Amino acid sequence: MAYRLVVHPELCHGCGNCVVACPVNASKSTEVAGGKGPQEDVGLSIIVEDGVVRINQLKECKNCATCIKACPVGAIGLEEV
Amino acid sequence: MVANEKATENKNISIKREAAEKRELCFEDEACIGCGICEQICPVDAIELGPMGAIVRGELDASKINIDESKCVLCGMCSVGCPVEAIDFTIDGKPISEIEEYPRLIRSISPEAENCVYCGACDIACPQGAIRVMRELPERAKLVTGEIEVDKDACISCGMCEDMCPADAIYLEENIPTSSNPEIATDIVIDKDKCVYCGICKRICPEDAIKVICKACPYGEYEIEEAEVKGDLVVDEDLCINCGWCQEICPKDVFEVEKPFEGELIINEDACQGCETCIDVCPCNVLSFPESSESGQIASKIQKDEKYCIYCGACQNVCATNAITVKRTGVNITPTKSKAWKKAVDSLKFSDEKAGSSSSGAAKAKSEGK
Repeated sequence: MAYRLVVHPELCHGCGNCVVACPVNASKSTEVAGGKGPQEDVGLSIIVEDGVVRINQLKECKNCATCIKACPVGAIGLEEV
Repeated sequence: MVANEKATENKNISIKREAAEKRELCFEDEACIGCGICEQICPVDAIELGPMGAIVRGELDASKINIDESKCVLCGMCSVGCPVEAIDFTIDGKPISEIEEYPRLIRSISPEAENCVYCGACDIACPQGAIRVMRELPERAKLVTGEIEVDKDACISCGMCEDMCPADAIYLEENIPTSSNPEIATDIVIDKDKCVYCGICKRICPEDAIKVICKACPYGEYEIEEAEVKGDLVVDEDLCINCGWCQEICPKDVFEVEKPFEGELIINEDACQGCETCIDVCPCNVLSFPESSESGQIASKIQKDEKYCIYCGACQNVCATNAITVKRTGVNITPTKSKAWKKAVDSLKFSDEKAGSSSSGAAKAKSEGK
């Protein structure tokens, strides 16, 4: 039973907590690690674009749930694949 | 060939096959620490470790592992490798741990209960709640000696002694004054089981109405019997994961712990992004965020104390930035003659060729899928 990160854009408030909380994102971009939004696509996992959360790619995602914990509105979860 | 039968109940999984012999594997989710050793040792890739970060953080309600019954060959290697006995394996009803031909991880906790003074440090420190210290303290009155007397005629019921008494041994029976009973208290009571003859009441009393003599101070302690603390130290070996916290924290060297693995825990601070997943997952409380020593001082990102590490690898599996390497160099196990089993045991040891690839099934599946 494998799991995959899913987002629910309809619930998202666009706060960006997930983007800066994600350890994969933080490791790829010093801007994200510093709490700011990314300036370019450096292969981030989860991003907020036009005010709405989107999964960019999940190659390094280990389902650690740090983004889920950081989300104030339950817009991120895990689903079975 | 007879097919395996799988059953799941709550998050527990059982797989069995009844052919010439009956083989049965039972996974108990609650005992599982999510280390992924079963996934690593399984020769047929039948076991997949779940997303432990999400599970321990309560973000996913799922079994910590999954076993594919169509792949499982019921060999029992997962059961032998499991450092917390979360997987029971029986052949014709006999546990594999009792069958001599099979190796068995050596791990133990041996408390010398007679040296225990019931301080309770182990109970507080044990990350698995496997130790309970219960104690019965002697009566306080038996550890003091003295005399106390209140001159009730001199007492004006001001209550200062009651307020000051550190042992809560003085009690005024309060009264609302009326014309028929114009007193603010009807009595002052000293509880001699609580009084420690410290003399504070005597010193605070504005009317010198209290006399206190502590006999222990001027005359020594000859009148006092030795304090006897009775207690009980209970170790639940089923819950113990041999982390060694009790052994390290005990001031009386009560515990001796044998760990199942030897190794080294390596943290790459540059790669660590401080997501805390490893701290949440570690079953041994090895990892923590250090506090800054003073304002303006930047503490290290993450702190480890390997004294408590069992090199299970749970932290490495959940780290999304490959900042942790658990270099397992030794497996403390009984000998086996079987080459296949020796190979299985050796597969748990760190090797440089495996170092590059993650041992997490979820990550493996994903990288293959992409």
